[in-house]
Amino acid sequence: MSQLVIDALVLGSIYLLFCLGMSISWGTIDILNFAHGGIFMFSAFVASQIVSHVELGLITICVISAVVGAVVSAAIDVLAFQPILRRAKNQRTAELQILIGGIGIGTIPVAIVQFYTLSEPFGFLRSTYETTVHSFGGMRLSSTGLVVLGCALVLTVSIAYWLKNTSHGLALRAIGVDSETAELMGVKRRQLSLLTMGISGGLAGLAGALLTFNLGAITAESGETLLIKAFAIIILGGVGSTGGAALGAMILAFSEVLVLRYTGGGWVDAVGFGLILVVLLLRPQGIFGKKEVRRV
Amino acid sequence: MSDFYFSNIVLIQSTFTVLLLALSIQIQFRMGVFSFAGAAFYGMGSYGVAILVLHYDFGAFSALATIVVICAMVGYLLSLVVQRLNGLYLAMATVAFVMIVTVVAHNGGTLTGGSVGLFGVLTPVEISVPHLLAVCAVVVAAMIVSERGAMGRRIEAVREDPELASAMGINVARYRKMSFVLSGVLGALGGGLNILMMTAIAPENIGFPLIVLALTIIIVGGSRSWIGVLIGALIFTWLPVVLEQVGTYQSIVYGVIVAIAAIFMPGGITGIVTDLYRRRSARSNADAFESEQRLEARAAEEDAAEAAELQAELASSTTPSGGSR
Repeated sequence: MSQLVIDALVLGSIYLLFCLGMSISWGTIDILNFAHGGIFMFSAFVASQIVSHVELGLITICVISAVVGAVVSAAIDVLAFQPILRRAKNQRTAELQILIGGIGIGTIPVAIVQFYTLSEPFGFLRSTYETTVHSFGGMRLSSTGLVVLGCALVLTVSIAYWLKNTSHGLALRAIGVDSETAELMGVKRRQLSLLTMGISGGLAGLAGALLTFNLGAITAESGETLLIKAFAIIILGGVGSTGGAALGAMILAFSEVLVLRYTGGGWVDAVGFGLILVVLLLRPQGIFGKKEVRRV
Repeated sequence: MSDFYFSNIVLIQSTFTVLLLALSIQIQFRMGVFSFAGAAFYGMGSYGVAILVLHYDFGAFSALATIVVICAMVGYLLSLVVQRLNGLYLAMATVAFVMIVTVVAHNGGTLTGGSVGLFGVLTPVEISVPHLLAVCAVVVAAMIVSERGAMGRRIEAVREDPELASAMGINVARYRKMSFVLSGVLGALGGGLNILMMTAIAPENIGFPLIVLALTIIIVGGSRSWIGVLIGALIFTWLPVVLEQVGTYQSIVYGVIVAIAAIFMPGGITGIVTDLYRRRSARSNADAFESEQRLEARAAEEDAAEAAELQAELASSTTPSGGSR
C-alpha cells in the first residue's frame, strides 16, 4: 500500500512539472499552449541526441533540455501567439485561434521526431547517470524518483513565491485579471509574456528529461496524452493556481495508480478524461479557482 | 475517366468520408459552438456499424440508419450535459469525450476487438461511391439551405453575438443543442460509410488524429461555409498524391500549414476569397454610389406614385362607405 503512495507521488510530481508551465501561461497571459506537449518531448529528444555524442550527467542533461524548451517556447510565442493576439478581433476568437495554432505547431516537433526516430522510443543511452534503488521498510524508491520529487517540490514552491511576492508576479497576475488596465498601469505585456512562455517551456523541457530518466525511454507521442491530462489537472485545481495544480496532479496520479492496481492497465487513461468531464460539470472554476466574470 | 476513377477509388472514397467528418465539426463552429464531438461520433459510427454487422447480422442500410439515430440521441444528451460550458472549456470537454470513446474502443474486449480493432465488415449490399455521393449531395444541399435566407442569418447571429441573438428572440440554446444532434448525424454517417467501404477499423484510426485532420481541413478551407470544408477536404486528401516526394515529411508540412493558416488567415481560403471580392466591390464603389443614387431617385418616384395611387384608392373607398371598416 505504501509503495502505491510512493509511485503515485513520483507520477504526480512529473504531471505537476509538466502542467505548472501550462497553468501559469493560461492563468496569466491567457495562452492555453497546446504545443506544450511537443516542446516537452522535443527538448528531451534534442538532449538525447546530444547525449548520444557526448557523455553527460543527470544535471547537465536536465539543464540542456530545460534551455531547449525555454528557447523553443519563447520562439513559438514570438512567431505565433503574439501575431495572433495582435490580429484577433476579440478575446474569444484569440483564445480559439491560439488553441488551433498550438495544435498545429504541436504536430511539427512530433512529426520531426517521428521522422528521425522512425517512431521508435528514445532515451539517454550514454549518460553517466545510473539509477540506484533505495529501499526502506519494504518500500522502494529510485534515485530518479527522488530527484523528480525534489524538483517538483522546489520548483512549485519557488513559482508560487515568484507569482505571489515579486513585482513580476504581481504584474503577471494583473494581466490575468485585466490586461488592458494592467498595460495602462505600465505593465510591459509583451516582455512579460515572453518571460512567462520561456519559463513555461523550461519547465516542460525539465519535465521531459526527468520523465525520460524515470521511464528509461519515451516516444514522439508521449506529449499528447500528457497534454490532455495536464488540462484535467489545471481545471481540477483552478486555472492559474499553483497550489491547485499541485493538488490536481496528486489527485490524478493517485486515482490512476489505484485504477492501475485494481483493473487492467487499459482504463488508466480514461481517469483523466473522465475527470475533465466531471469537474467541468460540477465545479467549472476548479477547487481553488475563482469564478470568472466576463462582461458583455 | 474510368481509369482515373478505378485507380483512385480509395482516395475518392476518403475525400467524401473526410468531408462528412469535417462538416460534423464545422457545423458546430458555424453556430459558435467550439466542439470536437464530431470526431467522437465518427468513431462511434465506424465501431457501431462494424459491431451491428459483425455481431448482430444487420444489413448495411439498417446498421447505418440505427447508428445515425443513436448518435443523434447521444449528441442530444451530450448537449444537455455540456450546456453550461463555453469556449475552451467546452472544447476540452468534447476532446475528453472523443478520448473516452477511444479508450472504450481499446478496452471493449471481443465487442470492439481491443487494440486490433474490427475487420471483415462485409454486407450483402455493397456500399460504394454512388451511395456516398448521394449522401454527400443531400448533406451539402441541406448545408446550402441552412446558409441562406433567414436561417443563415439566424445562425450567423447565434455565432457572432449570442446575447444579441437571444435579445432578438432567437432561442440560442435550441440552436446549440441542434448543432450537437446534427454533428451526431453527420459524424455517424461519415464513420459508418467509411467502415462499410474500408471494412476495417482500429482504435488508432479514431480519436485525437481525427480532430487534427478535421481542424486542418476546416482552418485551411475556411469555417464559414461548406465550400471551405469541401476545398479543405480535397486539398488534404489529394495533396499527398500530388506531392509524392514530400511523403515522409507529410505530417511536418501539415503542421506548418495549419499553424500558418491559424496565424495569418483565420478565415481560411474562402475567407481570403470573400475578402478580395469585398475589396474589389469597394473599389468600384464610385460606380456603385452613382447607380445607387439613380436607384434611390427611381425608388422615390415609385414611392410618390404609389402614395398617389393609395390616396386615390382611399378617397374612392372612404367616400361611399363613410370611412368605417
